[in-house]
Amino acid sequence: MEDKAESDEDWNYQFLEELVEDVEENQNIRQCIECGKCIGECPASKISDFNIRRIIRKVLRGDKSVLKDSDIWYCFLCERCKRVCPKKGVNIPLLILNLRNESFKKGYGPRYNDLTKYVEMAEKFLTNGTVLEDPLDGSLSPERIEELNEICNFARIKYVFKASEASKAHKKKNLNKKRVKK
Amino acid sequence: MEINNLAIDLEEIEKRYENPLDFFRGKKLCLFKACLEKYFPGVRFGIQDFLEELGMEVIICQNQSCCSGTFFQRNLITRAQFAAINERNINEINHQADILLVSCNGCYNSLLRGRDFLKDNTVRKKTQDILNDVKEKMGGEKYLGQYDILENPKLRIIHDLDFFYLIRDELVNTLKFGLKGIKIAVHYGCHYLNLDRDKDINTYLKDKTKLEELIRLFGGVPIDYQERESCCGWGASQIVIHPDDALKVTYKKLKSAENVNACFILMPCPTCLYTLSKPEFRERMHKIFNDEVEIPTIHLNELIAILRGCEEERCITLRRKSPRFNQIYATITQE
Ligand code: SF4
Ligand code: SF4
Ligand code: SF4
Ligand code: SF4
Repeated sequence: MEDKAESDEDWNYQFLEELVEDVEENQNIRQCIECGKCIGECPASKISDFNIRRIIRKVLRGDKSVLKDSDIWYCFLCERCKRVCPKKGVNIPLLILNLRNESFKKGYGPRYNDLTKYVEMAEKFLTNGTVLEDPLDGSLSPERIEELNEICNFARIKYVFKASEASKAHKKKNLNKKRVKK
Repeated sequence: MEINNLAIDLEEIEKRYENPLDFFRGKKLCLFKACLEKYFPGVRFGIQDFLEELGMEVIICQNQSCCSGTFFQRNLITRAQFAAINERNINEINHQADILLVSCNGCYNSLLRGRDFLKDNTVRKKTQDILNDVKEKMGGEKYLGQYDILENPKLRIIHDLDFFYLIRDELVNTLKFGLKGIKIAVHYGCHYLNLDRDKDINTYLKDKTKLEELIRLFGGVPIDYQERESCCGWGASQIVIHPDDALKVTYKKLKSAENVNACFILMPCPTCLYTLSKPEFRERMHKIFNDEVEIPTIHLNELIAILRGCEEERCITLRRKSPRFNQIYATITQE
């Protein structure tokens, strides 16, 4: 039978601990009873293959392939699951954010092109103090803007930008090599 | 260090004040600048005009920035950076006001969430380190504690919907028009409906009905529909990441309200309003589903402005005017 009884060895909490070690709101993820209540009303499950139970299973088994799954990018962070989950101390959207963080770090996250809108918003945030052009109440004063720039450098955007430049350069080099060969 | 929750205790006010508005009198009220109010100025004016007419002291904190929730939810800033942005805002506002009113579910969530993150020692330390760097960069503070994490600030935060509901008896007295039996569907938005940061567990799990109760009080008929509790489709940027998939959620919601013959959908959040009303989204849905969705959408603050008889341009953006909307406006404001 494929679905053999679970043995203790199936579980490996190290990955989970790395993920939620300092996340108070997710201390009880291990207590997920796989009841599936969260799936019934999950918008992401309705429009994609997203399945929170499957994601939790992978996490609780230390299966890091979950970081490569496109699933994790489908969560709406709507917190519906938190409302229906019978367990306290389980915050799925926050777990998803942590998984996305790890995925980003490993280079499986969005590419620079996927972030164009956010790059624009980040630029506006660091010049106007809001994510929109010409805000209702005018922009923040230069002093306040300086504070925002000190707090957020959007290192991740810069990192993704560099990665994309590097990969472009790499592709160009390969292309040139091919041309030379011809 | 104990980080307290800044959500206002609604039950306490209801218990202690026969007229809950008295709690707010003599206090300085600040309106949080939600970025998307830019597209829907009626969301701001709707509440600002109302409060000023009641003789309340209302301010907008010029030093407040966007809550940065958008960046946090897209994994572009860390919890500590997000908490630092939030704490900077709370600190500036606390310096100038006693109560912060919030018109947007996203901002409301961010304001409470930033504080929640500070409960974790590691995040709090990182946040304070960031704020210390800011202080150094700015050459010190302008007022005492400007860059400190606040242990027990006087500031209390309230969502506009909770505020209007709390003072509903006063509110209804200021209205010039009623809803004349119009059928209205409601959308709370997931970050109001599913948020537990501001509620005890019982209130959290109970059905939310404040919008329906307000509609009844204004003389309208709240009408139930299948997708009442579903997300608008924004889904923390899903509409940007997977637009065609996310619009399925949006379409289903709008269609479901249209199918029960609701005149419009009422909501307490400009971000939901943006998603549910943006002409480009409507056009795209038209293309994908080969079906036109026409149902208008209105923010609670805008509706209150209309019912109070404010000038049309002040309560609703011209961009959103449609024949169906004009009809609603004309029906409501008919003497
Ligand atoms: S937060 Fe994510 S997992 Fe939870 S119900 Fe919403 S979409 Fe589903
Ligand atoms: S509702 Fe809670 S306990 Fe049930 S499967 Fe989902 S996360 Fe696990
Ligand atoms: S909710 Fe969004 S738009 Fe509103 S202030 Fe926060 S980040 Fe800006
Ligand atoms: S319904 Fe949409 S916009 Fe409104 S709170 Fe939820 S995700 Fe945000």
